[in-house]
Amino acid sequence: MTWLPMTGTGTTEFARVFGLRPNLYEDYRAFVSVFRSLQPVNPVVLELCRLRVKQLLGEDVALHIADGARDANGLGREKLNVLERWREAKVFSAAERACLELTEKFVLNPHGITDEDAATVRAHFSDEETVAVLEALAIFDGFTRFRLILGIDPKEREE
Amino acid sequence: MAGRPRVEPPPARPGADAVAQSPLAHQPELLQAFLHLYGTLWSHGVVDHSSKEVARIRNARITDCGY
Repeated sequence: MTWLPMTGTGTTEFARVFGLRPNLYEDYRAFVSVFRSLQPVNPVVLELCRLRVKQLLGEDVALHIADGARDANGLGREKLNVLERWREAKVFSAAERACLELTEKFVLNPHGITDEDAATVRAHFSDEETVAVLEALAIFDGFTRFRLILGIDPKEREE
Repeated sequence: MAGRPRVEPPPARPGADAVAQSPLAHQPELLQAFLHLYGTLWSHGVVDHSSKEVARIRNARITDCGY
């Protein structure tokens, strides 16, 4: 449970904590809503990236994996079960592998991205999609850290 | 740090600021939503500007970001 007072309104700890700054929370939700409505990138790829970010930051993703299997069309349990060992797994497409490599660098070592890594991403994604993937990673990384540092219940479903 | 952008920005609109001339402009609707959020963070918050700027600069130093 979070160590901040949950005086905001909402059905989740995240909402009640973030709701301590209602204007900021409202703008955050609007930003996420634009992202969801545009679907600028294949949602399966983004869900893999989101869950991998959580794994890299040490969050227990078992429940989120169950959600992912239910929600993201085409994201089967087979991929989710081997996500932590994606480099050795044979089930991921080349585009998914490029994004997972980008995810690792984004979270752990942003200076480690090489021209070869970038070229691999660019081989599968347009400029528009590449920017969208990186914006999504910024949200996933930033708000996973936000949740972890504030001690927000890791089992609650994300909005 | 890469010496050049790995994604080139789209052609700039006249009068566009630095962020609007960056690769983020490839997703204009997302950029507008982000700028609105960022504007609220900076200009309509409860933490004083100098504290936020110190945090921003420290974050940039840790990540070796030139901004």
